[in-house]
Amino acid sequence: MPVTPEREVEAFRVHYATLAVSVLAALLLQTVLPVVIPVAGLMDFSLLVTVYFTLIRQNQIFGIALGSILGLLQDALSHGYLGMFGMAKAVVGYLAATAAMRFNFETLFARCVATASLVVIHDLCMTALQHVLLESPPPFVPLDRASSVLVNVALSLIFFPILDRFR
Amino acid sequence: MTFDPNTTESVAAGQPVARDGPNVQAFIARHRPSFVLAGVLVAQLLLLSLQITRNHDVRLIRVWAVDVVDPFQRSMHGLTDLSVGAWRTYRNLSHAQQENQQLRVQLASAESQILQFSEQAAESGRLRAVLDFKNQLPFQTVAAEVIASSPGENSNAVFIDKGVDAGLTSDLAVITPEGVVGKTIAVFPRSSQVLLLTDPSSGVGVMLEKTRVQGVLKGDSQNLCLIRYIMNEEPVTFGETVLTSGLDQIYPKGLRVGVVVQTSAGGIYKNVEVKPAVDLSRLETVLVVLKPNSTQQQASNGRP
Repeated sequence: MPVTPEREVEAFRVHYATLAVSVLAALLLQTVLPVVIPVAGLMDFSLLVTVYFTLIRQNQIFGIALGSILGLLQDALSHGYLGMFGMAKAVVGYLAATAAMRFNFETLFARCVATASLVVIHDLCMTALQHVLLESPPPFVPLDRASSVLVNVALSLIFFPILDRFR
Repeated sequence: MTFDPNTTESVAAGQPVARDGPNVQAFIARHRPSFVLAGVLVAQLLLLSLQITRNHDVRLIRVWAVDVVDPFQRSMHGLTDLSVGAWRTYRNLSHAQQENQQLRVQLASAESQILQFSEQAAESGRLRAVLDFKNQLPFQTVAAEVIASSPGENSNAVFIDKGVDAGLTSDLAVITPEGVVGKTIAVFPRSSQVLLLTDPSSGVGVMLEKTRVQGVLKGDSQNLCLIRYIMNEEPVTFGETVLTSGLDQIYPKGLRVGVVVQTSAGGIYKNVEVKPAVDLSRLETVLVVLKPNSTQQQASNGRP
């Protein structure tokens, strides 16, 4: 009986220095830029870093760890509670790795779709957590959420090719 | 390692494939990323619960802990209440049963007392009636209680509790406020036997109240009496009262004997049936009419 060949999946390895610099840069940009550019408040650099490195690494545990760490750091630098972003980004990291193990995200279109989907999932997780845990959750503004998706997808188109040079 | 085309797993050479039941370790190993994700999420959720406060600064973790334990606490409390309630109900029922039994005993005792008092009151009423009747009579009498009846179906006789000691003799009339009962036929030291007028061997001189027709009243074995020696031509009406005539020297004249219940013509004499005025089946207290020489004897004995 002939053996059905499994789909060959390319997984890349990233230097830890590249990862550390990317994490630091994301946190800095996310804290500094909104002061200068108000629209930068919609940009979630930590999320983009999580998505990118998980898509190329294709390891669910790596995605969970990276998302948790970035989320907790983001929580620590914000006025919110520790664990909010951590949980949302952990879920995003897991889903991104799961998707990367089954699909090819090397094309531009696939990356845009993945980024958009994961941003939406991230926002939904945050909204759900806020409504469940907080007594006074912030209002859900669909226009802001849609804008966030567009802005982050646009950022991914810029930053993902730059990070590709270091894998 | 060899590749088994029939399975999707690689199998080591010479190593049998485990096909017996689910393996927890293998399950965890296959789904390790999911378990890691769940662990990370739970850890961060706990971290959040330590920070977020609700309900006037109560930490969320306390709120969750109380929410988790509260249903069990309520269930335990409910179970405890149920058990205690059941025990108390059982104990109360047990006490109620004991109390019920005691009350039943008391009720029976009270009912018995009421009955006794009622009997005493009724007896008092009867005795008063007898006393009033006795005081109205123009002759001396002795009150007596009926204590027994003579055995035998055809024997219409009773025993009273007065005898020679009370000055009684034989052939003394025995009466009640309702009418004539009979006469004494045997007198003993402390009791006497009274022959009822319904006995076939008794005889009372009687007369009809309105027509004053005289005859002799004889007893019938069926608790009725017959008047003998009334001619067919003599008028006798239904319901007419029959009185003693006094001609027999035993019963004083004018005492009520009974009423005529049936009358029919006979050969020479009429057949007149009389129902006694006294209910001879329910005698309790009677009066014995004393003769003048009996009165003297009673006075000598020092008895009333």
